[in-house]
Amino acid sequence: MLSDLLFRLRAIFRAKTMDAGLDVELQFHLDRQLDKYIQTGLSPEEARRRVRLDFGGANQITEECRDARGIRALQALRQDLRYAFRTLFKNRGFTCVALITLALAIGANTAIFSVVYGALLRPLPYGDPDHLIVLNETHPRIGTISVSYPNFLDWRAQNHVFSGMAVMASVRYNLSGIAQPETISGQAVTSNFLSLIGVHPLFGRDFDPSEDKPGATPAVMLTYPLWQSHFASRKDVIGRSVALDGRASTIIAVLPRDFRTTEAVSVLEPLGVWLTKNSGAVNRGTRGDTAAIGRLATGITLTRARAEMETIAAQLAITYPDENNQFGVALQRVRDLFVGDIRPAILVLFAAVLLVLLIACANVANLFLMRAAGRTREIALRVAIGATGARIVQQLLAESSVVAGLGGILGLGLAFAGMRAVQSLIRVAALSGDGVDLNGAVALFALGVTALSAITFGLAPAMQSLRAGAHSRLKEGSKSSTDGVRQNRWRTMLVVVEFALSVILLTGAGLMLKSVSRLIAVDPGFRTDHLLRLKIGLTPSQYPDDTTMLAFWRRLLDAVRALPGLESAALGTHVPLTNSHGRVDITVEGMELPAPGSFPHPDDHFVSPGYLRTLGIRLLAGRDFTDADSETAPRVALINARLTRNLFPGHDPVGKRFMLGRPELAQKPEWITIVGVADDTRMYGLANSSRLEIYRPLAQATPDQMDLMVRSRINSTALTSSIRAVVASLDSNQPISDTNTMDALVQQSVGSRGVTLILLGAFSALALVLAGIGIYGVISYSVAQRTKEIGIRVALGAGRQDVIRMILLQGARIASAGLIIGMVAAFGLTRYLEKLLFSVSPADVTTFATVGLVLALVGLLATYIPVRRALRVDPITALRYE
Amino acid sequence: MLPIEANRETMSLIDLPQGTLDLLILRTLSLEPQHGWGISERVQQMSSEVLCIQQGSLYPALHRLERRGLIRARWGTSENNRRARYYELTRAGRKQLETETSLWKQLTVAVNQVLGEA
Repeated sequence: MLSDLLFRLRAIFRAKTMDAGLDVELQFHLDRQLDKYIQTGLSPEEARRRVRLDFGGANQITEECRDARGIRALQALRQDLRYAFRTLFKNRGFTCVALITLALAIGANTAIFSVVYGALLRPLPYGDPDHLIVLNETHPRIGTISVSYPNFLDWRAQNHVFSGMAVMASVRYNLSGIAQPETISGQAVTSNFLSLIGVHPLFGRDFDPSEDKPGATPAVMLTYPLWQSHFASRKDVIGRSVALDGRASTIIAVLPRDFRTTEAVSVLEPLGVWLTKNSGAVNRGTRGDTAAIGRLATGITLTRARAEMETIAAQLAITYPDENNQFGVALQRVRDLFVGDIRPAILVLFAAVLLVLLIACANVANLFLMRAAGRTREIALRVAIGATGARIVQQLLAESSVVAGLGGILGLGLAFAGMRAVQSLIRVAALSGDGVDLNGAVALFALGVTALSAITFGLAPAMQSLRAGAHSRLKEGSKSSTDGVRQNRWRTMLVVVEFALSVILLTGAGLMLKSVSRLIAVDPGFRTDHLLRLKIGLTPSQYPDDTTMLAFWRRLLDAVRALPGLESAALGTHVPLTNSHGRVDITVEGMELPAPGSFPHPDDHFVSPGYLRTLGIRLLAGRDFTDADSETAPRVALINARLTRNLFPGHDPVGKRFMLGRPELAQKPEWITIVGVADDTRMYGLANSSRLEIYRPLAQATPDQMDLMVRSRINSTALTSSIRAVVASLDSNQPISDTNTMDALVQQSVGSRGVTLILLGAFSALALVLAGIGIYGVISYSVAQRTKEIGIRVALGAGRQDVIRMILLQGARIASAGLIIGMVAAFGLTRYLEKLLFSVSPADVTTFATVGLVLALVGLLATYIPVRRALRVDPITALRYE
Repeated sequence: MLPIEANRETMSLIDLPQGTLDLLILRTLSLEPQHGWGISERVQQMSSEVLCIQQGSLYPALHRLERRGLIRARWGTSENNRRARYYELTRAGRKQLETETSLWKQLTVAVNQVLGEA
């Protein structure tokens, strides 16, 4: 096959030499034949005549030899391509419209596919990733929650469905001893972690089982990016030590470039080191930031594993009711974890962009059909002088391929340019690594789309022309014939399809628009404007107890408040929209004790005085904290409105008391008095309802990590750097991380919905324009075709209204057919959007009605111009026209 | 147009069935490399002057066989010291010849059987 192609190609490129060779060869034959005849006694004259007779036309032989060498087909192709380029160049208007349409569609498709590939299809860098399962605990009221370390140990010991199980605990470190101290995140893992997921360090050693136990020597593996940015990719880093939270850790390995884990991390450390620092982890009731990962044993399905793990969890809930009552287990494929909640948005967008491609193809097919109609004479002529049907189809396909090819190249360019925009819009979760780029798979997709579109929009016109060519149309006036009618029907159908597809896209965009506008209108319970958040985590070795930590927080707050231009500043934990949370069971004084797993379980905030004012959270009753609520003062708290409704319905909660935890677990109950009620906040995102919350004064419960909240009209970058300077003046080793404006966090919370809206909006606008052009094309072409008819009608006394009605009706028929089909299809399809919608029904009547109206308007507008042209028809010229 | 010659030619010219020409060329070349004229001469000789290959079909066939990789061509010098294009069998060509020959034998035996019974 390949050698055959090579032979043909050589034949083409060396055609001259080969032809010359053939001449020599034939001449040789001729001379030998001549000699032979002369030897048999013929006269030279007679011999020469016989030879000529034997030989036939030398040209014909040459021609047939060329054929045999297989040049002809390729030569014809070259001819077709050259001809295609020439005609396309001549019809620049047509070519431009077709090219722009295709480039936009192919570009959009390629860009979106690059996201689809990056997020959904790209192979995970693990050995046999499909059998890797992430395990978490679940609780009916809380949802998915971290795994208790003792529970993990029991899971691992008791199950028969996983060939191995490892634990991963999230850690954060202050990396000091460098120019600007910073906070990095990492995971503490059991020594079997890397071998379980099938990853080998790039170089260096793996963790040792001895490092799983408390007391292990601090050691650390660097991820590739950290190694590059902070250690200049030097191979001799192994054995060096870095200061993590002020403590020396030895670098033992560097991870491969494509390494990813379930979170964005910079380092890995042995679990033993984590256990040393988190001595509380051995308590079964402690659920920190830990998850388990397991590899399914051969032949075990996820369902089977889930069943067994649920049995184990149920048994543990019975054995340890205080810690495990109502706790279950959740299993999830690693792949699904990586894709996360972005999957529905990506799939919807991919479907939408494919629809746009279909519309674009329909439009270009229409253009080609229109052009083919004008070329029936040319094709008939070609058939008449001996072109075969296949030959004509080949030539027309060559034209569409050239258009598609150029469109594809332009589209790829557009995709490349748009990739950055798409990338910034769709943040394929940081954990999927580099995420989105132009790679082989994406290029292949673009090629496939291009080829497919060439066939889609090229074949129909080709077949059409062929059929037209079959009847000899040379002598016919090409203006009116049944073929013309059939062709118009084809094109009308295409436009109806375009309209229907646009309806679907527009309905989706409309529903998203409504969702997002409703989402943005949600009151988050606090003021998001001009509010900056900075995260500060103290190094435990430097601030070993509550007194030192509290002293730092107080000094920090005083220094920041002294900065000019601030409205207010405060410290708090688990601020809204940051996905950070800490919860605690509470017992209200005098309440009936529920089962261990059913205690009220509010989010627990530690805040400085002025926190509510800084965030703009309304105080509904009682008072806010003051400096008087110190470490020595009586224990006090604020609760939110929802907690009030739940626990004190119809009563004033101010003055009531509660304690943390459950009475049977507390050695001596420490009662906390409620001094005020704060309004609810949308802590977990605008789309999620508020939860139970309590606030406690910073002085009475001092955390080592806090968010500094600053309300100011100063530009956030300038503000950040002056705050950095303040922090550095207090402690030069103290980093600041996660600086965001609250407005940015709100935007993130709108997240994939916002992205879906923007892209879906752009796609449906494109679809709308294309559909408009489509209907315009069909109507105006038919007006041009019917000039004579209109002229006759006018000459016979038809008025302006009659002409307008006639043309408008034609447009209205197309538009309404498309609308009806599209509406029905959209009604069936919008439920796939349901996951992305927010307080809007997929069958929202207003949206459907608006879409119908918009498309009807577009249809009308597209018909209007041809109508005007029809009105200008002068009967005399029209009749003379033929 | 030329009744005498035409008569003479119908005597020696049997229309070759499709594919037979290729078989004959391959067979001829299996003896030794040969140029185009040599091939047609050899076929005529070996068939006792019954089969005569038309030049018009010989050369296209040679080029086709070359494209299919069954024969290979190179320039050489003929018996009378002239530049000529010599063709020889490739390994694939030799294999093809074997299969085609056995197919042909089966065919002729079968056809003979049918004709004999008829």
